[in-house]
Amino acid sequence: MTVQSQHRRSGGGYLERPAPSGLADVIEIILDKGIVIDAYIRVSLVGIELLTIDARIVIASVDTYLRFAEATNRLDLYEKGKDLGEFIGDMQEGGASKKTSGAVKGVKRAISGGGDDEERRPARKSSSRRRSTEDA
Amino acid sequence: MTTATSTEQEHDLDLERGCYVYGVVPFGDELVPPGMTGLGEAPVRLVRYDDIAAVVSDVTSDRPLGRAADLVAHSEVLDALAGLTTVVPVHFGSVLADEDSVVQDVLAPGREEFADLLAELEGRVQLNLRATYVEDAVLAEVVAADPQVAALRERTRDLPEDESYGERVRLGELVARALEHKREEDTAVLMDAVTPRVAAWVERGGGGGIDHVVDVALLVDTANLASFEEFLEGLAEAVHERIRLRLVGPVAPYDFVGGAGWA
Repeated sequence: MTVQSQHRRSGGGYLERPAPSGLADVIEIILDKGIVIDAYIRVSLVGIELLTIDARIVIASVDTYLRFAEATNRLDLYEKGKDLGEFIGDMQEGGASKKTSGAVKGVKRAISGGGDDEERRPARKSSSRRRSTEDA
Repeated sequence: MTTATSTEQEHDLDLERGCYVYGVVPFGDELVPPGMTGLGEAPVRLVRYDDIAAVVSDVTSDRPLGRAADLVAHSEVLDALAGLTTVVPVHFGSVLADEDSVVQDVLAPGREEFADLLAELEGRVQLNLRATYVEDAVLAEVVAADPQVAALRERTRDLPEDESYGERVRLGELVARALEHKREEDTAVLMDAVTPRVAAWVERGGGGGIDHVVDVALLVDTANLASFEEFLEGLAEAVHERIRLRLVGPVAPYDFVGGAGWA
């Protein structure tokens, strides 16, 4: 009974449009979200607190670094007969470059007339803060 | 809300029945579709106060809440209502003693605040947008951009883990830092493109996975929904070699109602 957009594509585009279905999706969407009713007014029921466990991983530990190293070493750059220069060259053709990220160029290409204010960068957003932008 | 003291005592009792609250809507006759059910397949109904109403269903305490089906039911009720009217979601697992408590403890004291929120959210829906890296592509960028990373990678990749522990930690640290830098840069670019087209947005945090870029909730005017989705499709195409975009929704505006504590 999820609300579906009338304009949802049937697929094939670059934008992934999964319908939230599994428990994990639902938890991700609703967990810790919504108006909180004062705990004194609420009736306590067993079982709810279990769901507020925050399973997010913190990037800081040695274990995490090892994970990054492993992923980097797993990279199959040479083995397929393609050397790194070639690989990067391919990416440049696709819009990336060595110094700026590919997204930068790709996005600018995608957005017409958006190249004027390259200086402007949003500050890092805090996850608990909500921002309103000017009327879209 | 500060009306807790009057009701605190009695509600501490071990109740057999309770009133599960899904959210708050502008009151409307026949707003709830006939046959709509919520947790435990219980019929969903409105509890009215003035021009607002709480969306509720009865729950019994003979089983604990919080099973998968309960979470799914909670979100299904809210998402379905979001397609019909404006809705302020309430935190999962909010059970009150009875309809009186819903009116006296929630709707009446919160009347102004709910009305303001409902007005703000009217005609808008939430979309969840997540950007993740195409891992091999960005890792290749990192290796290519930093000779030290490339050298460490060359040295450690064929060594047994024990012999290269220190160097592998160092390699991972360098890669993690480089990715963090990329993440900030790419997030800024993406958000610069997206945020002028939405009414409001909030970063949803998200994991520390290697591929994580950014995860945001966007509040979008329903009138602009189709063109916004089209824009995102174009954006996804433009960045697809390095970044994947995943869009979920429309869903109820879970991330735009203040979250923790509005009292």
